[in-house]
Amino acid sequence: MKQRMKIKEGLSYKVVVRDRYGKVLKRIAAPSQSYTRAWNQCLYVLNRHSSFTIIDTGGAGRSISYSSSVLRANAGAGEIGYGIRVGKGMMPVTINDYALENPCGEGTGVDQFLHQATSASSPAVVGSECSFWVRRVMVNNSGSTISGIREIGCYVMMKYSPAYYGLGYRDVLPAEVSVPDGGSITVTYTLKVTI
Amino acid sequence: MRRELWYRAIVRDRNGKVLSCENRRSRSVLGNWYRILYAHMASTSTSLVHTSGNSWGVINFGDNWKFVAAANEDYIGIVIGTGIAAVTINDYKLESQIMQGTSSGQMRHLASTPGWPSVAGSSCDFLTSRTFLNNSGGSITVRESGIYCRVKGPTYYGYACIVRDVLATPQDVPDGGSITIDYTLRITV
Repeated sequence: MKQRMKIKEGLSYKVVVRDRYGKVLKRIAAPSQSYTRAWNQCLYVLNRHSSFTIIDTGGAGRSISYSSSVLRANAGAGEIGYGIRVGKGMMPVTINDYALENPCGEGTGVDQFLHQATSASSPAVVGSECSFWVRRVMVNNSGSTISGIREIGCYVMMKYSPAYYGLGYRDVLPAEVSVPDGGSITVTYTLKVTI
Repeated sequence: MRRELWYRAIVRDRNGKVLSCENRRSRSVLGNWYRILYAHMASTSTSLVHTSGNSWGVINFGDNWKFVAAANEDYIGIVIGTGIAAVTINDYKLESQIMQGTSSGQMRHLASTPGWPSVAGSSCDFLTSRTFLNNSGGSITVRESGIYCRVKGPTYYGYACIVRDVLATPQDVPDGGSITIDYTLRITV
């Protein structure tokens, strides 16, 4: 039996690149390509109140149990184990992705960003819609332009100690993005349901 | 990319014969789902109305989102009811829940346990199923279903309604018969 659809669950992203003075150089906004399997597996762990082996961002299977740490994305400044990340990979997203293909590191070296804290808005209900966003600013103090940014995503915590992280969602941008020295890239993911 | 929730309602008579089956995409994950998700992702607290009607909120906590339910537990897991009110984003309970028991208008709630997540092709999904037995002595018409999960607010534990659907076709469950509700949470790349 077919249903006329009303519910709409959405994950979308917005990427904004600025120069050192805050001038916007580029904006990209699009629906997200995907949650990945670790996301559903984390939900399963919480729903089932159980343990499950989930592949972490290092490619190793980890036994994850329900806890308050599961799905955390509020990484602090400089923390790149979880929170929003950017990278240079361009492989299409698959359900089995467990990390960004080629993530940019933390620091001021070549192709490194200074990762600011990942923040989130409170859930807001407007009409028949409930949504919140997760955002991170990454600053380029490497001394030169970082070009070839093609992928973004969000790593989530799965276990606090020892710390294990999983890939919640990943997207490949439609075109590569360059961030000038002194500039920044801001990635905002919006999670939304509409009835 | 698609993230979908599907449900299936199967009604059987006392001999196990299938009388009807409705298989549809879920009408709705509710706002509460996203409030709990926010509490976890941001590792903080936010407002949320519990199924009790109290605005006890939710904090990030390991028990949140638990909806595995034991037999006879009608306050957690998949639940059913007779309500027909349209789903709204702020629904916090079923409109008219069918409670555990064998009295008139009641059904026996069996245990509800999510199956393991499986990956097939470009999808990853897991299924939760619950069967309700009608030993009330009369027919009962089921018109709505949903999922209640455990949540913890800053002070109080409670339960939150995170999914609610009004069935497209009311399902008449005869005395001695049963209704099984399956929910499948699926991600497809």
